[in-house]
Amino acid sequence: MISLTHYLVLSGVLFALGFYGVLVRRSAILILIAVELMLAAVSINFVAFASYLDAKLFTGVIFAIFVITIAAAEVGLALGIVLRIYRERSTANVDEASTLKW
Amino acid sequence: MNLDYSLLVPEFLLALAGVVVLLADTFRGELKSGRQLLPWLTVFGAALYGATGAAAGSMTSEFAGIFAVDAFTAFFRVLFAVTLVVVVVGSHEYVSKNIRHQGEFYTMLLFATVGASFMAGARELLTAYVGIELLSFSLYVAVSLAKSDSRSGEAGLKYVLLGGLASATLLYGLSLVYGAGGSTSYVEIAKNLEHVEGLRMPLVLGLVMVIAGVGFKASAVPFHMWTPDAYEGAPLPVTAILSATSKAAAFALILRLFSGPFLPVIGEWRTTIAILSLSTMVVGNLIALQQTNIKRLLAYSSIAQVGYMLMAVVTMSDVSASALLLHMGGYLVTNLAVFMGVIAFYNHSNTEEISGLHGLAETNPFLAMVLAAGLLSLSGMPLLAGFTTKFILFQAAASGGYLWLVTLAVIMSTISLFYYLKVIRQMYVVLPDGSQLPYATEPSVRQERWSMSPSSTLVVSVLFLGIVVVGLYVAPLAVAADNAARALFKA
Repeated sequence: MISLTHYLVLSGVLFALGFYGVLVRRSAILILIAVELMLAAVSINFVAFASYLDAKLFTGVIFAIFVITIAAAEVGLALGIVLRIYRERSTANVDEASTLKW
Repeated sequence: MNLDYSLLVPEFLLALAGVVVLLADTFRGELKSGRQLLPWLTVFGAALYGATGAAAGSMTSEFAGIFAVDAFTAFFRVLFAVTLVVVVVGSHEYVSKNIRHQGEFYTMLLFATVGASFMAGARELLTAYVGIELLSFSLYVAVSLAKSDSRSGEAGLKYVLLGGLASATLLYGLSLVYGAGGSTSYVEIAKNLEHVEGLRMPLVLGLVMVIAGVGFKASAVPFHMWTPDAYEGAPLPVTAILSATSKAAAFALILRLFSGPFLPVIGEWRTTIAILSLSTMVVGNLIALQQTNIKRLLAYSSIAQVGYMLMAVVTMSDVSASALLLHMGGYLVTNLAVFMGVIAFYNHSNTEEISGLHGLAETNPFLAMVLAAGLLSLSGMPLLAGFTTKFILFQAAASGGYLWLVTLAVIMSTISLFYYLKVIRQMYVVLPDGSQLPYATEPSVRQERWSMSPSSTLVVSVLFLGIVVVGLYVAPLAVAADNAARALFKA
């Protein structure tokens, strides 16, 4: 029997991995991938809670669908901005985008 | 379930205005009116939104349990509408000179306001989340819209990456709150959290993550890192929207969340918010001391203001909520006056450096007076809006039992006077040729006077009147804030 705790631990690990990725990666694209990992953890959480709390009320599942949709929109938007930076400076590394300080 | 769509008419009108502006820009060749039409359409949409929103102010209704239409929502609808109208009219000259993609610019401002409006009215987590993302996405685009300025792209990149991180954190927190509260409806969560037992740990973790997420939107320290960069890189009118609409929407959401669903567990988050408030006002004010760019200075000054406003969240009650709403109104008027003044100055001089303001009192005394009044009001000088509203805010926090926090806030307000006066000194003490007053000989060449464009003059004068009127006669705004706060706690 798989309990709610299993799902929560899985999503917690996934979220932590994503957070670690955001902190250590230099490329903007890889940071976006790490953020996607965090959002996947969120979806797991919502679906798990939805099915364990009240199988008839599926608000959590709907929430997960919204999260997936909005995450796709966010990546599209962010890639547009990354592309612009790349055209200007021929790099998509965040540590080289440093003209604005303090 | 109440599925009366007429409750959402203001938001529909605003979104429709956004689509119409986009179409009018696409077919501007056929319309033969060029781009002259776009700001008018935007202002018209915003005015309709504000009028219909204000007309619904006396209602207490709910759309399908997810969107409340009450005095609180009406208060913010009017604030957002006024902000949008002021920014569009006041930045008309700036936009036509500096922004190539005007259709997208106005559309993004309209959509951002729709998102903000949904954040203020949401009574359910998913609605609130979609509102946040609509606001954020529009602002990501708007910040990176100045294609000729490479700072703009960098600011957009930093904003979108950190924003993605923050919204993922917020969502994880919301999912845990959903698990512990058993529902996404604010009312249900409040009911279930009154006797939560098994899921204490996830709940506390969820609360902390939600605070981090909304703290990012409101730019509270330590989640403020994006603020100065986005403010400096964004085109000036977008910076004004960031500091007004975005901040007000974040506080509307905070008020709705922490006065409703999270109120039963106030013991779990009160100290966290108090620490956030403390660090925000200290860091914001101290870093502001060494800024040389006016946009960056205003970014840190707005961070400091967030610190003061968070005090009212710590002592959550109808009195402090009303004080917070009142201060939000006073802050918006003041801040917009300063930003519109800076935009008018930029149109003439093309500089954002504080040192570039030297001698403004000689070359444009009216603008110098408005900027000085706005900055003094931000620091909390008597007779101006900032003093009255801040006084009531501090009083509410003190009577809520957080005297040590208020003491610190008063000290920080005094420190803030230093960097506001630095700007005023440039305008009044330094002469146009760079010499300083007490030692200056008679200026050899008299500087030419210049005047603002008619639209800038209009907006700046109205906002200046606003600062003085709110400072001297605060009653109407206070009554509106009071009604809004009462609706918040009744719901």
